[in-house]
Amino acid sequence: MSFAAYQPLLDFFLLSLGFAYSQQVVLRAGVFSIATPAFAALGGYCSAILVQRYGAPAIPSVLLALVIGGVAGFLISIPLARLRGVFQAIATLALVQIVVSLAYYLEPLTGGATGIHNIPKLVNTWHLLAVVAVVIWFMYVLSRSGVGRAFDVLRQDEMVGATLGVSIARYHALAFIISGALGGLFGGLQSLYVFTIEPEMFGFAFLTAVLTYIILGGPRSVLGPIVGTAVMVALPEISRPLAEHRQFVQGAILMAMIVFLPHGLVDGLEVAWRQRQARRLDKEDREKRRAHAVAGP
Amino acid sequence: MIAQQLLNGLITGSVYALFALGFTLVFGTHKILNLAHGSVFMSGAFAAYFAVLNGLPLWFAMVLAMLCGGLVCYVIELAAFRPLRSRGQIEFAALIASIGANLMISSLAQRISNTKVLRFPFGTFPVQFYTVMGVRISLLQIVIVCVVAILLAGLLFYMYRTSFGRQVRAVSGNERAARLLGVSPNVVFFQTFFISGALAGMAGVLIGLSFNSIHFLMGEPYLLRAFVVVVLGGLGSITGAVVAGLLLGVIQTLTVAYLPTGLSDAIIFSLLFIILLVRPSGLFGSAITATAARRQ
Amino acid sequence: MLSLALERVSKSFGGVQAVSDVSLEVTPGQITGLIGPNGAGKTTVVNLITGVLRLTEGRIRLGDTDLTEANASTVARLGVSRTFQNIRLLKEASVLDNVMIGFHRQEETGLAAQLVGLPSSWRESRSLVKRAQALLERFGMTRFARHPAGALSYGHQRRVEMIRAIASGPRVLLLDEPVAGMNDVEAAELGHIFEDVAKSGVALLLIEHNIRFVNALCRHVYVLDSGRLIAQGTPGQVMHDPGVIAAYLGTS
Repeated sequence: MSFAAYQPLLDFFLLSLGFAYSQQVVLRAGVFSIATPAFAALGGYCSAILVQRYGAPAIPSVLLALVIGGVAGFLISIPLARLRGVFQAIATLALVQIVVSLAYYLEPLTGGATGIHNIPKLVNTWHLLAVVAVVIWFMYVLSRSGVGRAFDVLRQDEMVGATLGVSIARYHALAFIISGALGGLFGGLQSLYVFTIEPEMFGFAFLTAVLTYIILGGPRSVLGPIVGTAVMVALPEISRPLAEHRQFVQGAILMAMIVFLPHGLVDGLEVAWRQRQARRLDKEDREKRRAHAVAGP
Repeated sequence: MIAQQLLNGLITGSVYALFALGFTLVFGTHKILNLAHGSVFMSGAFAAYFAVLNGLPLWFAMVLAMLCGGLVCYVIELAAFRPLRSRGQIEFAALIASIGANLMISSLAQRISNTKVLRFPFGTFPVQFYTVMGVRISLLQIVIVCVVAILLAGLLFYMYRTSFGRQVRAVSGNERAARLLGVSPNVVFFQTFFISGALAGMAGVLIGLSFNSIHFLMGEPYLLRAFVVVVLGGLGSITGAVVAGLLLGVIQTLTVAYLPTGLSDAIIFSLLFIILLVRPSGLFGSAITATAARRQ
Repeated sequence: MLSLALERVSKSFGGVQAVSDVSLEVTPGQITGLIGPNGAGKTTVVNLITGVLRLTEGRIRLGDTDLTEANASTVARLGVSRTFQNIRLLKEASVLDNVMIGFHRQEETGLAAQLVGLPSSWRESRSLVKRAQALLERFGMTRFARHPAGALSYGHQRRVEMIRAIASGPRVLLLDEPVAGMNDVEAAELGHIFEDVAKSGVALLLIEHNIRFVNALCRHVYVLDSGRLIAQGTPGQVMHDPGVIAAYLGTS
């Protein structure tokens, strides 16, 4: 088959990857946020309304989507700093529901349940590729910086982070801002790519899909979301039964991963590899010492 | 008119309460948010539907629905939560595992029902209305209220008057201490999950009957509302779940009746958001819930 | 050179008085000991100093700065570091990464520069890696740099936690039972490291159960029992205090 046949799949992969990074960055910082659908909806409606209703050009619309997502992320990070664990998850779930039900309610603006249609298609594969390349670079830089290290310590042990001077409120806010900006950005791109936007696109299915990318790939590495998203996007294409039972397979993957490889494919393999290295070094060490003891007096 | 709305609200709310009771029981005892609770609810409705279709009487179908819900919920415990238990912090892992279980169960149901809406055959439940002091109430509504009241009484009796219930409450207080006292955690897990599922299964039948519509995704809106109910009532509190369920039923019926569409949900979920921030222990939650929710 | 001072500090949980009326001073350049039997409230004192717990009464000062109301990350930023009684390392992260985290409050590149990857931020990262490697070298841990911290032996994990605390460039270092579970040789090795750190001008507070170890290292020792200070002075004075003997051996 030619490249053209796979192009829609590639585009879908690129958009999903953006949402996956939006979800990953909060999980990496140890925040149980599942607000990515809310950010995506905000950005999506923003660019859809600007372009379709007011004929705004693509670049400023998408940039505004990014800014709105980031601002929304910052705003909810303030109250959420007071909550912990699953309570953060519940609060962000409520946020998603509020945004979606407002999309239904604000009909003059959002088109209500029918949504907005005939949005000009201003985004193509090359645009998506370029944006994703920038995002991957950004995530790479982030993961190598002090910010990445601060996120890592907060995810693994908040108390250690605090006693080393890592400000929980500050870094959680930063994670929310980045998550919101990425969610808004790709929501905005999606609107200008798929012609249409409606509230249903941001429901439970979106949420579970995005979570699956990260659970499968891993919450820490830059490569994780790429692998997770690629597998989930490609699976239905591999064989018919996989496509027909997509939900079932997705559920089974989620359960199996969380039980057997809770750090995801990429991060999990990395840890396992390092542990093997460690064991090998220890063994060499022991043998050396034994040899020494035998040779010694 | 308003009296009628209030009555309808209370009846809807009693089903919300029934659904949320099992959800809050599992959270209160094991600190697990079971996001597959909606699909347990749905499987109860499916079981009752097929029982009725095969000529079994409705009361028997209801018992079957409870058994089915209980079993499905226990299977979720075995498959999704038990393997995680040896780890320390399982909050998030359990959340993900239950999302996985939810996807699997609902996609099975989608297959069984061919993505169609299932309806009980005509005459499964007699359509009869009574008018009391200007308020219309159907026989079904009366049955719903009675069933919920009986189950609630049974649950309270079980939790506070039997040795099994004491075990469950001991575990919810402190799992390690309970184990030292000889309470076997697995027995307790079986009880809480089975009861939780049985209550959800019955709620599924009642909702299936009142809307005469059974669908593989029917649990989703109820699960979302259950969050509001359990947070408003105080996570883990039985009394709280009942009061908050009734309250939510009334709020919802009134907002749907008097406000434009879509706004009702926005109000309900804003309520959830605000309660979490202002009073995370809810109306009846303990101080422990508040410290679990808040960052010190 | 700042010293850490607790002035009549008390802490109660509900009605239970965990620490009452404790005053002590940790001076730079030397190791101060805090000993006491199990459950005496030693770890509570550490948690109070580091802002993990809020005190009920009293004041904590670092030089002229009041730490009484400060939260954990503020206290840390002012230069107070600690180790934990039950080792708290990031088990899946490598030893090198665990040490790198210790540098957090010395990072100078701004957030924005870090996020867009300005050369200054790369330079800083590289220099931090070098410093972390130097620290590992100093403590003989270089060959474990790439190991996941959780795979190390108990003694090595303790050492990594120490290195992390030292990496944070502390003015005050609180060591919560750092040699628990170690044999005498390992403990003595670690003791030399503490002395080195103290000589560089850091105020060390050594919380210990093991009296022999404390006596060998400390010039001034405080003894805590049931949340109260029952004695203080040089190790020699304290060891002959009848109250201390009673607390350790049980009153007969």
